[in-house]
Amino acid sequence: MTRPSPKEIKAVADVAGVPVSAEVAARIANSIGPAFEGFAPVAGTLPFDLEPATFLLVQAVTPIKAAK
Amino acid sequence: MNIHQTTTEPALLSLTEVARAIAGKRFSSREVTQSCLDRIAQWQPRLNAFMAIEGDEALAAADAADAALAKGHVKGVLHGVPLAHKDMYYEAGKVVTCGSKIRRDFVATTTSTALQRLKDVGTIRLGSLQMAEFAYGPTGHNSHYGAVHNPFAVDHITGGSSSGSGSAVAARLTFAALGSDTGGSIRMPAHFCGVTGLKTTWGRISRAGAMPLSQSLDTVGPLARTSEDCALLLGLMAGADPEDPTAIAGPVPDYATAVREPIRGLRIGVPTAFYVDDLDAEVAKILDETIAALRGQGADIVQVELPDQRQLTAACQLVLATEAAAFHKRWLIERPQDYGPQVLMRLQNGLAIPGVTYLEALRWRGPALAAHNAAVAGVDAMIAPVAPVPAPTIAESDIGNSPDAESVIQRLTRFTRPVNYLGLPSLSIPAGFTKGGLPVGMQLIGRSFDEAMLLRIGAAFQRVTDFHDRVPV
Repeated sequence: MTRPSPKEIKAVADVAGVPVSAEVAARIANSIGPAFEGFAPVAGTLPFDLEPATFLLVQAVTPIKAAK
Repeated sequence: MNIHQTTTEPALLSLTEVARAIAGKRFSSREVTQSCLDRIAQWQPRLNAFMAIEGDEALAAADAADAALAKGHVKGVLHGVPLAHKDMYYEAGKVVTCGSKIRRDFVATTTSTALQRLKDVGTIRLGSLQMAEFAYGPTGHNSHYGAVHNPFAVDHITGGSSSGSGSAVAARLTFAALGSDTGGSIRMPAHFCGVTGLKTTWGRISRAGAMPLSQSLDTVGPLARTSEDCALLLGLMAGADPEDPTAIAGPVPDYATAVREPIRGLRIGVPTAFYVDDLDAEVAKILDETIAALRGQGADIVQVELPDQRQLTAACQLVLATEAAAFHKRWLIERPQDYGPQVLMRLQNGLAIPGVTYLEALRWRGPALAAHNAAVAGVDAMIAPVAPVPAPTIAESDIGNSPDAESVIQRLTRFTRPVNYLGLPSLSIPAGFTKGGLPVGMQLIGRSFDEAMLLRIGAAFQRVTDFHDRVPV
């Protein structure tokens, strides 16, 4: 996973219905790029049977009292 | 006896103390409210902490509370206590600006559940508190309404986004205030302003009627002077709500009892990396002193190796940016000129994130929380700094939409965002002051829905320290 280029961001923003200038696209690439890089080790590695709601399951079964 | 119980200035009492003082008729609600209004008049020109001050209405409500009390009619445990909250909690008939130009004249038609639950036990309204525009900024700057100032050093930031809440509680203008925490917005101002701030577990308190920023990360919580006060407020606001299906059902723990329990034998973890890296020297020293104070109370301190926190921070940013952009899309199309430059820039960041990437970041939350739980299985809570530095000056943190603005923001909030991504509770406690007089806070990080443990540890720490008692002059 790599950070999106300003050109790609401009295209995505157009599709989203909120067009941005080339200058703004470059600024967005600079701002959000590190988040893509930071998440890169995880992206594309998640197992098939995994939903966002899995978080709620894990949250619900959290043991309140620490194991001693 | 706490020294506060002998004060003649009611505004200097804690929330718990003033509630008892009104119930016991040691002070009337009018005396208490007037005391707050006097301090507001004194401090507001220097702090800019309030968005709106409603003095006449507050005094009329105080008189009504006193009259009811004289007849034996007590509404609840906070009968006649005046409070003000972050200007993003809807109250029917009131203007709720959300710190923005876009909502400058927005009048709410409903009342948020958290606010209503506090009204139901007798609180009265002093006005509303300043905040970062749409709660999307960690410094306390606001390009529409001006920066909020730190009461301990007025040329320094308060932190945000609950900037007015931190400033007003620290200056004793309100006994407590609601804030919200999506990426650190309660803990940052608590740290910078020297107050106690509780970021609750995602789902612990209803978000109904609170301005949304990121539905997967938004949490409601209090800023107050003590852990005991936060425990009182949490107990009043927590619990299921038909208006918010994400607010969990089930009994609300007895937080008031928890804060009286000792911490001898508890195990508190210190991260081996990330939260202890690249700290300001004074912050590092205060972390060590805080650990020593907890050890002195009988807690066992152990080193804990956590999973890679940088990945959590990145995932948090991807989720927050996407969801914020989606909430604001209509205004991004119709009214982009009405946003402040930095908020507009940050909202536009969300436009760049593909749907698959956003959903991957959400799907990873469960495994990431499970990995965290496994790492902390042997401890009752973790302790870490809230931020690597004390409050910067307003001038040096006025970064607007400069090219490096986002990286500056990310550095400032790097210790708070992993907690938001995992939905965990975290309590920021005043832990010391720098040589220059700036407050420094430490965060206790707990298990999901175990706020009671954090409040217990925080209260124990506050029984042997006085950082939470210091009043700015």
